[in-house]
Amino acid sequence: ESFSDEAMMKKGLEIFNETAACAACHVLKAAGSEGNIGPNLDTVTMTVESVKEMVTYGLGVMPAFGEGEILTKEEIEIVSQYVVNVANK
Amino acid sequence: MKKRIKKLNLSRRNFLTGTATLAGVAATASFVPITIAKANHSEGKKGLPDFISWKDRDALIVHSDKGIETHRSAIGESLITPNRNIYIRNNMPTMTDEQIGNRMDWKVSIEGVKNPKTFTLAQLQKLGHETMATILQCSGNGRGFFKHKPRGSQWKTGAAACVLWTGVPMKTVVEACGGINGDTVFMTSAGIDHQPTGLDPKKAMIERSVPKKVFKDAMLAWEMNGVPLPNAHGGPLRMVTPGYFGINNVKHLGKVAFTTKESSVKYMKSSYRISPIGKKGSQYPSCWEMPVKSWVTRPTDETGTVKAGKVQIVGVAMGGTKKVRSVKVSVDGGKSWKKAKFIGPNLGKYAWRQFVLETTLSAGTYNIASLASNGSDKQPELRMENRRGYAHNGWKDHSVNITVV
Repeated sequence: ESFSDEAMMKKGLEIFNETAACAACHVLKAAGSEGNIGPNLDTVTMTVESVKEMVTYGLGVMPAFGEGEILTKEEIEIVSQYVVNVANK
Repeated sequence: MKKRIKKLNLSRRNFLTGTATLAGVAATASFVPITIAKANHSEGKKGLPDFISWKDRDALIVHSDKGIETHRSAIGESLITPNRNIYIRNNMPTMTDEQIGNRMDWKVSIEGVKNPKTFTLAQLQKLGHETMATILQCSGNGRGFFKHKPRGSQWKTGAAACVLWTGVPMKTVVEACGGINGDTVFMTSAGIDHQPTGLDPKKAMIERSVPKKVFKDAMLAWEMNGVPLPNAHGGPLRMVTPGYFGINNVKHLGKVAFTTKESSVKYMKSSYRISPIGKKGSQYPSCWEMPVKSWVTRPTDETGTVKAGKVQIVGVAMGGTKKVRSVKVSVDGGKSWKKAKFIGPNLGKYAWRQFVLETTLSAGTYNIASLASNGSDKQPELRMENRRGYAHNGWKDHSVNITVV
């Protein structure tokens, strides 16, 4: 893996656990997260596109991280790539 | 790379139990819980989350640990859907026995009545006793047919069940409280399943308002298909709003209030609104009354090829808030229709009816559709396009292709 992939994964983990606090509500083994509000991300079928859409617009109690300007477009892209890459691993 | 992530993981683990980091994050995301719910849903031995490990894995399609659908052929061919086959759609984590405590001490407060009161489950069970059948159906049942791929679980037909509830009629509860306050317009039910999460109630509380008239047929239920209401389905007490979509049947019920205004929580104000694609807002209709609907449950593409000759085409039909009057079946994609026969007991207008059409099919491929009517409305051919993929009752998408050999 290239350095940029590694850097991106690290950045994705940081957004997941810290910037966006996805970890507070979701299980994702690879990130060490145990939140139990939203779906366990190791059990969901997803694509980068579907994650991006969900993160941007939210659903129910999940905030609209894009519309609400909590995350930038770039951050949404990175965290979505990260989640799809590490889920169920 | 692994090393670096692991290292980061360790430090981030503090986040889950920590204090300082959490405050920092709260400032960013503005919704972070004060206490974070412990995971109670690691994969069960049968590939189901722990909280529903008692369900029948083979009958279910797992979209996620919070969204679990019944296979088209597994909703039960004896009218009532067995609990072990019933779908799960959780907006909040299912409450645990520990969080619930002594079930008989569970409390529900009744407000917007002449004499507001709080009842324990034990007191409710002395107040009245009734059994009724209703259809529990997720607002998004059929979302999986929408071409614009709305967010959320891609349910086809299996976010629906026909259930026998036992509890006390809301009417009896209202009488015990001296009647409803005159100026009220809505019956507003609130769950308490958000409380253990520590999330902001405005964003996380499942509080749903329905037109006041719904109370006349509503029930506070503690039993489901002959067993104490499972936690996963909202035990020990759930509001049942017959003819209304699942979300209005509030789980882990803590309060029922007759109110002049609709609840202002997110789950009422902005979620569950039927808006055009690309638009949203509280000006659009809420997911309330279910429309007339039907679908074939056998034979389907799930059940494999069908042997040529006599075939029983069976399914379920519902009238929504009115009694279902008739259902027609087509084996040629809607070009021609034959009236199907209702079978089995009639459990009232809020239950579904089973139907059967006996026909003879020779080898070939067939598109089988069903079309129900409640006298004033019938199923449309096409879906009503909407942003979130709610309330789909178009017959064409619900048809199945089968091969006869």
